[in-house]
Amino acid sequence: MQRTHRRASTCWLAYLSAILSSTASAVPEIVAAPEGLRQCVVCHGVELTGNRSVDAPNLSVLSTWYIERQLLNYKRGLRAPHGSTDDLIGREMQPMAAALDDESIVSVLAFAERVPERAALVTMMGDVARGAKLYTSCAACHGVNGEGNQSLSAPRLSGQSDWYLARQLENYQTGARGAEPGDIWGAQMRASVAMLSDEDDIDHVVSYINSLSP
Amino acid sequence: MPRAYSRREFLNWIGAAGGSSAVYQASIGLGLIPAVTLAAPMASVTELGSLRRSVVVLGAGLSGLACAYELERAGYTCTVIEASHRIGGRNMTLRSGDIVDEMGHRQVCEFDDHPNLYFNAGPARIPAHHKILLHYCKTLDVPLEVFVNENRHAWVHDSNAFDGQPLRMRAYIADARGFMTELMAKAINQRDFDAPFTDQDAERFFQFLRAYGDLDEKGIYQGSSRAGYQSGGMLVPAVHKTPFDFRKILNHDFWRIKMHWAEGEDQASPMMQAVGGNDNIVRGFTKNLKSPVITNAPVQSIMLRDKAVDVIYNHQGINKRINADYCLNCIPKHLIPGIHNNFPADYLEAMASVKRGKLMKIGLQMSERFWEKQNIYGGISWTDQKIEQIWYPTHGIHDAKGVMLGAYIFNDGTNAEYARLTPVERLATAIEQGSKIHAGYGKYVETGVSVAWHRMNYMMGCTAQWSEEARQRWFERLQRPEGRHYLMGDQISFHAGWQEGALSSAHYVLDDVNQRVQAELKGNATNA
Ligand SMILES: Cc1cc2nc3c(=O)[nH]c(=O)nc-3n(C[C@H](O)[C@H](O)[C@H](O)COP(=O)(O)OP(=O)(O)OC[C@H]3O[C@@H](n4cnc5c(N)ncnc54)[C@H](O)[C@@H]3O)c2cc1C
Ligand code: HEC
Ligand code: HEC
Repeated sequence: MQRTHRRASTCWLAYLSAILSSTASAVPEIVAAPEGLRQCVVCHGVELTGNRSVDAPNLSVLSTWYIERQLLNYKRGLRAPHGSTDDLIGREMQPMAAALDDESIVSVLAFAERVPERAALVTMMGDVARGAKLYTSCAACHGVNGEGNQSLSAPRLSGQSDWYLARQLENYQTGARGAEPGDIWGAQMRASVAMLSDEDDIDHVVSYINSLSP
Repeated sequence: MPRAYSRREFLNWIGAAGGSSAVYQASIGLGLIPAVTLAAPMASVTELGSLRRSVVVLGAGLSGLACAYELERAGYTCTVIEASHRIGGRNMTLRSGDIVDEMGHRQVCEFDDHPNLYFNAGPARIPAHHKILLHYCKTLDVPLEVFVNENRHAWVHDSNAFDGQPLRMRAYIADARGFMTELMAKAINQRDFDAPFTDQDAERFFQFLRAYGDLDEKGIYQGSSRAGYQSGGMLVPAVHKTPFDFRKILNHDFWRIKMHWAEGEDQASPMMQAVGGNDNIVRGFTKNLKSPVITNAPVQSIMLRDKAVDVIYNHQGINKRINADYCLNCIPKHLIPGIHNNFPADYLEAMASVKRGKLMKIGLQMSERFWEKQNIYGGISWTDQKIEQIWYPTHGIHDAKGVMLGAYIFNDGTNAEYARLTPVERLATAIEQGSKIHAGYGKYVETGVSVAWHRMNYMMGCTAQWSEEARQRWFERLQRPEGRHYLMGDQISFHAGWQEGALSSAHYVLDDVNQRVQAELKGNATNA
C-alpha cells in the first residue's frame, strides 16, 4: 500500500512539472471549433481542411455565404433530403445540418471565417490543357481563377479537394444534386455540367481547377 | 488384416470432409504440429528508476489505458488525452441517463435506473483464450460471469422457409444432423461410399454417425429427444417431435453460417462477460490509474520532432501542448488525416488503405422477460431479416424487466441504410421485424437506443477493414513506429473488433518502447 502511495505522489509531481513546462512554451495558434460544433471538425478536420477518409470536403476555402446556403439546403431538404437514396454521401452530412439552429449557423460561419485558408492536396492527374478549354465556360460564373462569384451565387472551386469536386459534378450529372424543386442554384449547375459529356471530362476540368490559385 | 493408411492419407481424408481446421486439430493430435507455446503474454516494462521518460497517450480506448497503466507502474510520466466526454472508446455499456453521442442524432438512454438494465453496446463477449484481457480482468479485480452465446432453445427464422415460422434451434440442428448422418450411414452400408477405410473403420464410422445423428440401430433417423419433446416426459411418456422435412431444412438459411457460429475461434462456449456491464473493464483500469486521463480534449495536432512528439489538444476552449518522449496513439486511423500532423506521405497512405467498418446494435428495454416463458435464458435468435440477431440478456434472470438486443447488424449495406434512419425509425423497424419471431413483441418495448458505430462521434467506424492487399503492403508499416509515434489499437492487429486485438497491439508497443528506452540507457552508460 505504502509503495503505491509513494508512487502516486512522485507521478503527480512529475505531472505537475510536465504541465508547467507545457504552459511555458508558446502554443501555436490553431483555431479550435467552438463548443457545440466540435463534431464538424471530427469529419471535416481540424480547421476544416477536409478528410478524404470520411469523404468530408475542405471547408476552409469556402465563403460564408456559400456555407450558409448549403447548410440551409441540407436543412430544407434541397440537398440530400432525409429518405432519399441517390446522394448517399450527402446523407452523411444532412443530419448534421438538420440539427443546427439559427444561432449555431451564425456560430459556424464565425468559425469558418476565422480558420486559415488551406488548399487541399492534389490527387487527380487529368489533362490540364483539355481541362483549361472545358473550364472557359465555367469561368463565366466561378471566375477565371476559380475564386467564386457571390453575385452569381457560384462558390469558390480553387483549393477544394479534387475528389469532392469530381463527386459533385457527377452528382449534378445524375441529378443526385441540384434536381430538387426549389434548388435554383443547383439547377443552374445541372445545366452547366451537360457540356462535360466525355467520360474523362470531369477528370480534366478538375485537374485544371487544381492548377488555379486565386 | 486391415489395410493400414498413412497418417497423411488419413489427414487428406479428414481435410476433404472437415476442412482445414479439422486437419489442424487432427495434426496436433497426431503430433505432427507442435502445440503452440504462448509467449509470456503480459507486458513487462523495465522500471525506470531515477530516470525520467514521458509518454502522451492519444485516445482512452482499452489499448491507451493499458499502456498508461503499465508505463506509470514502471515510473513513466503519462498523460492520456481523450476527445469524448467518456473514457473507454468502443467499450461502452449503456444505462439509464447515458448519452449516445451519435453524429446528428444525439440520444439519451432512457432505461430504468436498475443495475441489471443495461446493455453492452460495444464488446459483449469475452472468449476464454483472450489471455491478456483475462489477465487484466483478474488483476484489476473485474468480476466475470459466464455469458451465454449459444442457446439451443432460441429461435431460428428464415422468412422464406417453413412459411416464415421460427423453429427452435435444437430441433433444427437435431433433424439436420439426423438426416445427414442417415444418408451417410446408408451410403456406407451400400458400399457405394468410396471411403478409404477398412471394414473395421467403416463399422466404427457407422457407430460414429449413429451417435452424432441419434440414429436407430439400422441407421435410420426416427426423430430425437435432442430436438426437444413434442409433449410429456415427466409424468407421461415423452412424445418425440415429428422430424422436419429435410428439403425444407436445406431451404432454410440457418445452415449457411449461423448454425456453426458458436464453433468459431472466438465464439465457442463458455464465454464470459463482466458482472454489471463490460465497461467495468474500463473502470478496472481507471480505478488503478494515477496518470491523468483528460476527457473532452480533442487532439488538434501531432508533430514529430527530433526525439520527441509535440501534441496539441483543446481543453475547455484552450489549446494546450504536451511535448513527450513518446506518443502512443489509438485514435481511429481514418480520423487522423483530419488532425494537423507532419507524418510522411507513405504513413498517411498506409492509414488510408484501411477502410472503416460498420456495426450497429439496438437495445430494447422490455417490460417483461417474456422469452423466459419460452425457456430462453440468454443467447441469440437468428433471422434472415435486416436485424439479423436478437439477444436475450444472460444477466438478471427472472427479474421483472430486461434489456435485450433488438438488432445486431453486420451487413454493410444494412448498416449504411440504418445509419441514415433516425433513431425512432430504427426502433420501429427493429420492432416490426422482431415480431416475426416473437408475436406481439412491440407491446413489451418500453424504450430503446440504437448505436451506429460508424456514426459515433470520435469513432466514425468500427472494426478496421484490411484488404489482403493492404495487409501485405501496409500492416508492418503501420505497426512500426514513425519516429516516436506509435499507431495502435485493435486496428493494428489481426483481431480488429476484439479487445484482445487492442491489448495485443498495446503490448507490442510497450515492448518496443521498453527496448528503445533500455537501449538508450545502455548507450548513455557506455558514453559515460
Ligand atoms: C458493436 C461492437 C461489438 C464488439 N464486440 C466485441 C466483443 O464481443 N468482444 C471483444 O473483445 N471486443 C469486441 N469489440 C471490439 C472492442 O470494443 C475493441 O476492440 C476495443 O474496445 C478497441 O479499443 P482500442 O484501444 O483499439 O480503441 P478505441 O476503443 O477505438 O478508442 C479510440 C479512442 O480514441 C478517441 N479519439 C478519437 N479521436 C480523438 C481525438 N481527436 N483526440 C483524442 N481522442 C480521440 C476515441 O474517443 C476513443 O476513445 C466490439 C466492438 C463493437 C463496436
Ligand atoms: C459525419 C461526418 C460529418 C460531420 C460530423 C459534418 N460533416 Fe459536413 N460534410 C460531410 C460530408 C461527407 C460532406 C460532403 C457531402 C457530399 O459529398 O455531397 C459534407 C459537406 C458539407 C458542406 C458542403 C460543402 C460544399 O462545398 O458544398 C458544408 C457547408 C458542411 N459539410 C458543413 C458542416 C458543418 C458546419 C458541420 C458541423 C455542424 C459538419 N459539416 C459536420 C461530413 C460531415
Ligand atoms: C451559370 C453559372 C455556372 C456555371 C456556368 C457553372 N457553375 Fe458551377 N456552380 C454554380 C452555382 C450557382 C453553384 C452553387 C450551387 C448550389 O448552391 O448548390 C455551383 C456549384 C458548383 C460546384 C459544387 C461546389 C461545391 O463546393 O459543392 C462545382 C464542383 C461546380 N459548380 C463546378 C463547375 C464547373 C466545373 C463548371 C463548368 C463545367 C461550372 N461549375 C459551371 C454556377 C455555375
